[in-house]
Amino acid sequence: MSPYVTTILTLSLFIGTCLTIFSEHWFTAWMGLEINTLAIIPMMTTPKNPRATEAATKYFLTQSTASMVMMFAIIYNAWSTNQWTLMQLSDNWASIAMTLALAIKLGLAPFHFWVPEVTQGIPLLTGMILLTWQKLAPTAILFQIAPHLNMKILIMLAILSTLVGGWGGLNQTHLRKILAYSSIAHMGWMIIIVQINPTLTILSLTIYIMATLTMFLTLNLSNVTKIKSLGGLWNKSATTTIIILLTLLSLGGLPPLTGFMPKWLILQELINNNNIMTATLMALSALLNLFFYMRLIYASSLTMFPSTNNSKMQWYNNPTQITMLIPTTTVISSLLLPLTPLFITLS
Amino acid sequence: MLSINMNLIVAFALALVGVLIYRSHLMSTLLCLEGMMLSLFILMTLLITHFHMFSMSMLPLILLVFSACEAGIGLALLVKISTTHGNDYIQNLNLLQC
Repeated sequence: MSPYVTTILTLSLFIGTCLTIFSEHWFTAWMGLEINTLAIIPMMTTPKNPRATEAATKYFLTQSTASMVMMFAIIYNAWSTNQWTLMQLSDNWASIAMTLALAIKLGLAPFHFWVPEVTQGIPLLTGMILLTWQKLAPTAILFQIAPHLNMKILIMLAILSTLVGGWGGLNQTHLRKILAYSSIAHMGWMIIIVQINPTLTILSLTIYIMATLTMFLTLNLSNVTKIKSLGGLWNKSATTTIIILLTLLSLGGLPPLTGFMPKWLILQELINNNNIMTATLMALSALLNLFFYMRLIYASSLTMFPSTNNSKMQWYNNPTQITMLIPTTTVISSLLLPLTPLFITLS
Repeated sequence: MLSINMNLIVAFALALVGVLIYRSHLMSTLLCLEGMMLSLFILMTLLITHFHMFSMSMLPLILLVFSACEAGIGLALLVKISTTHGNDYIQNLNLLQC
């Protein structure tokens, strides 16, 4: 793609999300989401192969259907309440339609089928944008309308998401699909808490985005997309395997790493609100996620596959790619747990 | 509720059901999306004239502009799908399923 086009698309992505986050009027929020969708589709179709086109088509169909349903909810709400403000979604049916539309946009469980397929078809860096930056705008809307949402629907969406995110990833060998399923599961964790304590949603989203950024940047560094190719990673760059180990354990939520913090706080908040069954189910389904993360860790850093190795010691040569962002995101996604009191005070 | 209002909501719902259930050509899905957008356009115009919200009288036009952009992207993807896959059947979009 020419640099002009790339600049315009990146700026549009940025502006779309900012428009949604800072808007007070429903229509501008909708416009931001629409700009986001329209801007990422040319990025997805950059590689000229059938898979990328197919992924872009699937993404386009789901996202435009979701935004139509959202516009319908907005207009219905305006008919019954005469309000266009984002905070005032007081009509019941409109809030249900809005929840469903945002669930399609975020890829929550009954509407999750597009996430793995789209992520599988597009390049790694576009997949990174899809799983991180594109989640910001719908979550911002969800954060603002949280008091008007229906708790039962939210709990159903969240539990289904965590279960599906766990079960679905078990059978996959492609890293992008595994990361997509982990995204579905994390979205479930964010949705379950959005009505009880919306700040935890933002905290959880931030930490998830940091860990996913690290994962995608390290995978992009060595251009790995399958579990099998992870087995040769020690030869390409040995430190990358340790980064992948730490980040995946953090995504799974093991205690000394950052990923434990959102899970801990969310479970605590759920138990304080007498949702003990929900908390148990969520905690158990996190184990499924941890299982397939462990498989990636096993392939990348705990074992050496008995495969022939033609070019030994590639790590000895100086790397040519720029890796400035990776150390920062690695540290943020693995060492932030001691800052938990600060986050509790802020929220 | 006005009867024309009811009528438009039914039109929207039918087009939505069309997107969700009728899966033969990509073109028909795009037409259903366009139908949803147009029924929303008329619904919004009615809303604004009914409640005299004249400060928002630009909104239906902006909605229409976005729907035109979406239709453009949809048609571009249709062309791309028909070059890469040979036809525009939705059931042919199965390269990425697990």
